Amino acid sequence: MQFNTVLRASLLACGLCASTMAIGQEKTGNKEGFSLAPGTVRIMLMRPVIQVGEQSTGGMYEPNADWTTQARENIAASLHDAQSKLGNQITSYAETASGEEPVITQYSHLFGTVADSVIEYQFFPGNRLPTKKRDKGFDWAVGPGIASLKSLEGADYALFITTRDEFGSTGRKVLQIFAAMGGVSVTSGVHTGHAGLIDLKTGELVWLNADRQMGGDVRTPEGAQKRVKQLLEGFPGKPVETAALAGK
Amino acid sequence: MRYAFMIAVIVGASSSACLANALISPGPHAAIAQSRLSATPDGQWNRLSRRDGKNVELWTLDGDSLNKVTFFGGIPVGKPLLREIDKKNRPLPKVMSNMLITDIPALLESTYRSQFSVNQIQIETQEPALLDGNKGIRFTYAFTRADDEVLRKGEGIGAMVGGQLYLVTYEAPSLYFFEKDLEKFHKLITTLKL
Amino acid sequence: MKLRAFALMALTGFATLQPARAAQDAFQLPPYAHAYEPQTVDERGQWMEADERERQIRDSPLRIREGNLETYLRTVLCHEVGQDRCAGVRIYAMEVPMFNATMMANGAMEVWSGLLLRVRSEAELAAILGHEFAHFELRHRLNGFKNQRGTSDAMAWISVLGGISNTPVGSANLSLLGSVYRFGRDQESQADLLGLKYLANSGYPAGSASLVWQSLMAEEDASALGRKQKPKQKYTAGFFDSHPASFERAARLAQEAAKLPAGGDARAKEFQEAVAPYLPRFLTAQVKLNDFGGSEYILSNLSQRSGWTGDLLFARAELHRARATPRDLQLASQFYRDAKGAGYSNPDLDRNLGLSLLRNGQTEEGRAALSSYLTAYPDASDAKAINALLAN
Repeated sequence: MQFNTVLRASLLACGLCASTMAIGQEKTGNKEGFSLAPGTVRIMLMRPVIQVGEQSTGGMYEPNADWTTQARENIAASLHDAQSKLGNQITSYAETASGEEPVITQYSHLFGTVADSVIEYQFFPGNRLPTKKRDKGFDWAVGPGIASLKSLEGADYALFITTRDEFGSTGRKVLQIFAAMGGVSVTSGVHTGHAGLIDLKTGELVWLNADRQMGGDVRTPEGAQKRVKQLLEGFPGKPVETAALAGK
Repeated sequence: MRYAFMIAVIVGASSSACLANALISPGPHAAIAQSRLSATPDGQWNRLSRRDGKNVELWTLDGDSLNKVTFFGGIPVGKPLLREIDKKNRPLPKVMSNMLITDIPALLESTYRSQFSVNQIQIETQEPALLDGNKGIRFTYAFTRADDEVLRKGEGIGAMVGGQLYLVTYEAPSLYFFEKDLEKFHKLITTLKL
Repeated sequence: MKLRAFALMALTGFATLQPARAAQDAFQLPPYAHAYEPQTVDERGQWMEADERERQIRDSPLRIREGNLETYLRTVLCHEVGQDRCAGVRIYAMEVPMFNATMMANGAMEVWSGLLLRVRSEAELAAILGHEFAHFELRHRLNGFKNQRGTSDAMAWISVLGGISNTPVGSANLSLLGSVYRFGRDQESQADLLGLKYLANSGYPAGSASLVWQSLMAEEDASALGRKQKPKQKYTAGFFDSHPASFERAARLAQEAAKLPAGGDARAKEFQEAVAPYLPRFLTAQVKLNDFGGSEYILSNLSQRSGWTGDLLFARAELHRARATPRDLQLASQFYRDAKGAGYSNPDLDRNLGLSLLRNGQTEEGRAALSSYLTAYPDASDAKAINALLAN
């Protein structure tokens, strides 16, 4: 986590040069040639990973159990509403007696790590890795090992969802103002979310929608609905891309 | 304290030229981690602009949480491996002049427990190795950081040379990534020169 | 420091000086509704989400699955709060070297290894488990009243006692420390009081709760001194400001305990036996946290319970070997030998003794110890490296 702090700090430092940092940010990646016809595949919706907390003055994340609980509840409800509109057969992951739970949990953590790396090192131009330039394609995976999991049998793709919100603390906001006076930009708060589709035959990440500046206060039901809509924007194979999902 | 750290970062960044992550192309690379360490990779790597310490350099293929090579280039006696985040409450162990080769993985372990909230770490195999002709140690390990709970494996080669610690490690998630790039790391460390 | 020590003495005195008036009303436990189920749609949702979090804990690599530790913890809680109350509770032991326990809405409780390393008796353990359970139980009553849902009161879902540790090993832990103190004082006080009642009701000495806090404060001081800092700085800085001071809390707990029946056996021996299989592992984690003063305090504390056992002496040797001044290395070698004398039989003793001697320039003795390690354990994962040290 410290580590992320340092990372964020250096990100921020680079932002000083590339003032367009937030503007040029890409949000969606597709594996080359990947498409999904509506109604052709079975998708397993994995358990969403949701974290909500506060951002301290130094940019450090402090989890807030209460907010997380509220967000979990709200997002789960919004996802449930949205599922029927994704144009393919969606099943929510259910535990089996396979004894695979710890491995499934590891894949879920790994997905989060991969998605973070995509945003950090490919989508975000200020910190892009030279070997991950966009002309080098969209080449990310959690590995073919996922194909052998019994509890995912029968599904073609796994849909992973993670959200992480850090609301700026007073100290952080003070720093923001202080820094602005010095002509430096410091962001207060982090609102990140990813939704990603893993091909269960190859372990490749075929679609990812990720944003470092998501909208919607997940602590409220309305905010969570907005967030879920954003997460599923550009979902492949979705029949109609309308505001239907927004739930107003 | 943390304030000071943030501001130091900001000031530091605005006064120096802006660094981006750099391409490490195949061929010789000298002065790694601002030290006399050099390597000759035969494939492409990325060097992160971020530094976790004065004599620390990070290389990666897909991002440092997916595969990370850390070069500790001549950490002097009395200094910690990484920049201390909270000197007062979480001081890091320091390099010592009387360290045996087996104290090198022990130092890494203790550093990780403090710095990265690594509550589980096992040093696995340990065997003697030469780091460009200097007597040192090669070791493997496995650990979990509390922030992402991803199981990771690691491998390192290190030696005390002229009273300074030289250590190069490779770390990646046990699922898929570690195996995927292990060979590249093995090739890389055969080219290390001091 | 002196002031503090004096205050502590006064505090301990407080508990004993006060006549043990067992006021009946203070001793009453709240009425218990059998097998509580969530009543409203909202509440069912919250339980579902707690179930989600429980899955993560259950599948975490940090969970201590081996042996009967979790069963033992549950037995203690059930003994304390009664079988009917604890029927729906699950307890997970987690390997995190910090002092902490939390309980969620659905009855899942998480207990960290750092807590198990620090408490000295079953009674002290019960004091914390009882406090956590009290949060859980009080929440039931709040539900009965309904419409109390709001930011602050939802906090009671996950409660954290303690978090006082001199060795915060990560920001996750630091943050937990922070969140501890965002609890309302009222809720903490209520849980403290109800926890005390459980404790006293089950025959444990009610004074144990106060002892836990006193010991944690002393550890803080030891840790600061070990880092050449002024102990009192720890109490005035940062988030420690925002909660009822540990001292105040310890004093209040002692005061309240004095009103309850004195209680019987703290069951230090039973606790010691239950954690014995895990002790080497917990000690190893503590010793590697680079906190000499705090670790030394914990060891000496444990030695008061059990005497200097092989495990404790070995850990003490490890602590000195890690600091590795010439004096430390000499002490380390001595403690390794003492550990052997006290029955520590794992071959890693010879290895570490050998390494300590070698590092201190006692080459010949060092080699002898390393050789016996390799003889006992020829296929050790570090055999090659040790062989190389022998060959040098």
